[in-house]
Amino acid sequence: MFLVKRRRQLAETVHVYISCYIWETEGRMSCNASVTRLHLSSLKRAEKVPVHLMPCEIEHNGLAQVSQYFTATTKEKKKEKTVSFRGRGLKGQEISCPQGYTGLVLKEVDRHGSDQEDRTVKVTSVFDKLTYWNLETPPTSDDTVVMAMDWPELAEAIHGTVED
Amino acid sequence: MDLKQFEADNSGSCRLASRIPDVCRTEDCCLGVDEAGRGPVLGPMVYGICFCPVSKKEELKDLKVADSKTLNEAERENLFQKLDEAQSYVGWALQILSPNMISTSMLQRTKYNLNALSHDTAICLIQYALDSGVQLKEVYVDTVGPAEKYEKKLSQLFPGIQVTVRPKADSLFPVVSAASICAKVARDRVVKGWNFAEDLGEIDTDYGSGYPNDPKTKEWLLKYLDPVFGYPQFVRFSWSTAQTLMDSKAAPVHWDDDEEDGEKAAQQQNNRSMLSYFSASAEGDRAQQTHRFFSERRLKSLKSL
Repeated sequence: MFLVKRRRQLAETVHVYISCYIWETEGRMSCNASVTRLHLSSLKRAEKVPVHLMPCEIEHNGLAQVSQYFTATTKEKKKEKTVSFRGRGLKGQEISCPQGYTGLVLKEVDRHGSDQEDRTVKVTSVFDKLTYWNLETPPTSDDTVVMAMDWPELAEAIHGTVED
Repeated sequence: MDLKQFEADNSGSCRLASRIPDVCRTEDCCLGVDEAGRGPVLGPMVYGICFCPVSKKEELKDLKVADSKTLNEAERENLFQKLDEAQSYVGWALQILSPNMISTSMLQRTKYNLNALSHDTAICLIQYALDSGVQLKEVYVDTVGPAEKYEKKLSQLFPGIQVTVRPKADSLFPVVSAASICAKVARDRVVKGWNFAEDLGEIDTDYGSGYPNDPKTKEWLLKYLDPVFGYPQFVRFSWSTAQTLMDSKAAPVHWDDDEEDGEKAAQQQNNRSMLSYFSASAEGDRAQQTHRFFSERRLKSLKSL
């Protein structure tokens, strides 16, 4: 999962330096970004999708019947959501991407060759909010992913240009 | 018996109860406890209590209630009808534990096993009768576990009540047979009309008895296995039948409290090799360490995709 700072004008294809602070789910879902060619044309076509951050690792890479099994059985009470996955109780909530940022779901365009080679990714979908799930514990502001959203603001304070 | 409340949300636990007969509030009463659907891998487990004045024991016997397992579905429905007609002196209450509730309890971080869940449910129902003003003097409980310990536990919890816990109590005491009929009728109805919360279109409801050794149940479990989600909430994920099928046919899922995975992770994190204390790179490691701000948020600086 990636959060990318929006720029006003975007050329059709450019090299984008993705601001590279993202979170790693439970130390397992490893994602990353670098100087990688991103097909920006795909961004325009990308649809907004619901995104779920799960408290487990699922050894599956591909489509899943999320709306049929998961969304359909999710219950919501005062912003706290509950559902179960594989018989385990989950509690979660929806959070927004930091202001000025867009979440991207990326997919590699035919990967071949070694790690050193340039790589191309396209945006398959975008999101501006996501639902994260804890195993049994109710969501709080101390949850890792909630705290991680502090970083862009802090980064701006540290690295942003200082106005006179 | 109105199941609407449970059918509106069949992912939790729900209590259904008859009106309390007035005579039960004034006369000494006996109460039976039994459960239906403990073994099946599909559908809810239903706990039932039935009560009547001690003076009406014979009349209850005359209704010819018997152990629900020796009766067929039509006979059970028929007997439940009779119990309902005797509502001037017979009352009942049920606790329906959904398969989802059973799964999430048994698979909880701090495991809540089926015996504990069963005992707590039975205790809740007896307490409900007391809270409703039923003058309880005798309680009869059917059990599959060790009877003596359970009897002692209940006697301590409900002082002044004569508690009898027996295996097969449902064939020994009419009031327990009556409870077992109420529970079994509710379970049958819930299973028959199961309202799948999942959006799966037409679902084949020919799932047999729901017991793991029933070929129809097995076939159904094979047919409705999803590689990612496993099963609809109708299935008890904590049953080994379901787990074995998922282990062999669905995507593996790892949780941070899995015993195997937990150990592996602990090994990686904590168990440093003896040799590492002598290596020269200790200082280099420190330089690489990220600030707590980032580690607490699981934020990482990335250099490659």
